[in-house]
Amino acid sequence: MTKLAVVELKLLVREPGAVFSLLIPLFILVVFGSSIEPGDTVLLPMALAIAVGLVGLYMLPTTLATYRERGILRRLSTTPVRPANLLVVQVLLQLVLALAACGLLIAVAGAVLGAHLPTRVLPGALTFLLGTAAMFAIGLLIAALAPNGRSANGIGVLLYFPLAYLAGLMQPASQMPAIVAAVGEYTPMGAFRLSMQDVWAGGVPDPLPLGVMAAYALVVSVLAARFFRWE
Amino acid sequence: MAVIDVTDLRKRYAGRPVLDGVSFAVEAGEIFGILGPNGAGKTTTVECVEGLRRPDGGSIRVLGLDPYTDGRALREQVGVQLQHTQLPENIKVWEALDLYASFYARPRDWRELLEEWGLADKRDARFGKLSGGQRQRLFIALALVGDPRVAFLDELTTGLDPQARRATWELVKRVRDHGVTVVLVSHFMDEVEELCDRVAVLDRGRVVALDTPVGLVGGEQRMRFTLLPGDSVAGLDALPGVTDVTRTGDRVVVTGRGDFATAVTAHLARHRVTVSDLRIDRRTLDDAFAALTGRSFTDR
Repeated sequence: MTKLAVVELKLLVREPGAVFSLLIPLFILVVFGSSIEPGDTVLLPMALAIAVGLVGLYMLPTTLATYRERGILRRLSTTPVRPANLLVVQVLLQLVLALAACGLLIAVAGAVLGAHLPTRVLPGALTFLLGTAAMFAIGLLIAALAPNGRSANGIGVLLYFPLAYLAGLMQPASQMPAIVAAVGEYTPMGAFRLSMQDVWAGGVPDPLPLGVMAAYALVVSVLAARFFRWE
Repeated sequence: MAVIDVTDLRKRYAGRPVLDGVSFAVEAGEIFGILGPNGAGKTTTVECVEGLRRPDGGSIRVLGLDPYTDGRALREQVGVQLQHTQLPENIKVWEALDLYASFYARPRDWRELLEEWGLADKRDARFGKLSGGQRQRLFIALALVGDPRVAFLDELTTGLDPQARRATWELVKRVRDHGVTVVLVSHFMDEVEELCDRVAVLDRGRVVALDTPVGLVGGEQRMRFTLLPGDSVAGLDALPGVTDVTRTGDRVVVTGRGDFATAVTAHLARHRVTVSDLRIDRRTLDDAFAALTGRSFTDR
């Protein structure tokens, strides 16, 4: 199991997509970060939502669907090791990737851009966990339904952009039509951004978006488990 | 002792029978072939034997274990090379071997396998950069890294060029020489003839023949030649090994077994009979398959 984790980590590091998931949100942060005010509580939550969304909707489903397409899960089931171990290792590693991406954003924002950082850790950690769980659940469902790695990649990208728009990541929610902005609050990325903004504003996140993320995590992961195929 | 014992194996997909009472036994130390056209049920059979699929009926014992219920214990002792499997593009050869070795309680030293299978200079190469033959050697090495007693090799040489196929055959013989029982799934007649000690021929979910390759071919050969007008072939049918002599005008077909061809040519020389267009055809497994099923091997 340890060796499996080490090898999978090496493969993740060699994957260009992993580097992109780290660099794209960072790029957005740096480009827009130079023009924001010191007390800003909006930009960093947006960048965090982009990072977690990329890992959950793009990296995770593409990797898992490719493993199934290449028969790697099937090949594992002929050894004494269960293929489920590989899934667990992958989900944990992608979680580490999401954590690394967020850590990098916060470090750069804090150290280089002098952005405002929340003082309390717990609400932020809770929001991160719920949001990641919701986005990963969607990623797992894509992996379950996509016939191969390329289509998982395509579905991930296709879902990512509308979800990112609804979440107010492409255009501030205040400039969007009211109805669209309201719908966006019930999407996983939108709920994640809202909660993170509450955290950045120094308060306790509103229970509604937290509940929205928990509901996505629960319902969608049950669906993913229901539809998952090993081959 | 039989290493694998399959009795009356049955499997349906969506109500359609894929395996319709398949039975065979594989003895220790042999290369056992499972031969048949595409769709005959070969892969389903081995997948049931490997414990990847649950049969609808019949019994399977591999090394005395039930592959489906005792799967874990069995997988320690069985190595598998599957058709259509790949590795991650970016995994290095040594990493794959090291990783798969870690799955087993008593693995072989993968560095030895690297040498044995001619992959030592590809140790640090990524899977995506390997040639077809190198990938196939890596897959065989991965099937052997757990030090198995039985190895399943499914459509081993599909997609390889003739030279790489020959080389792979030599490697499979080497696996057997190390004391590993090999089950070889193939739709190539020449491969089975070259490698297997015994062959089960599958057609439409049934075993239509189970014999040595020579036994399947029947050991019969045909000799054809043309006589000069007026010459006689009297006495040929009495020669040792000759089973049949047919003459149509000047064309003669002699069927026989063993060394009958030498006897025939000696007889003709003794009687100063000159022949032309002499040809000897051996019956092949293709002929045997056509005789067994009434269909040619290549059409489904």
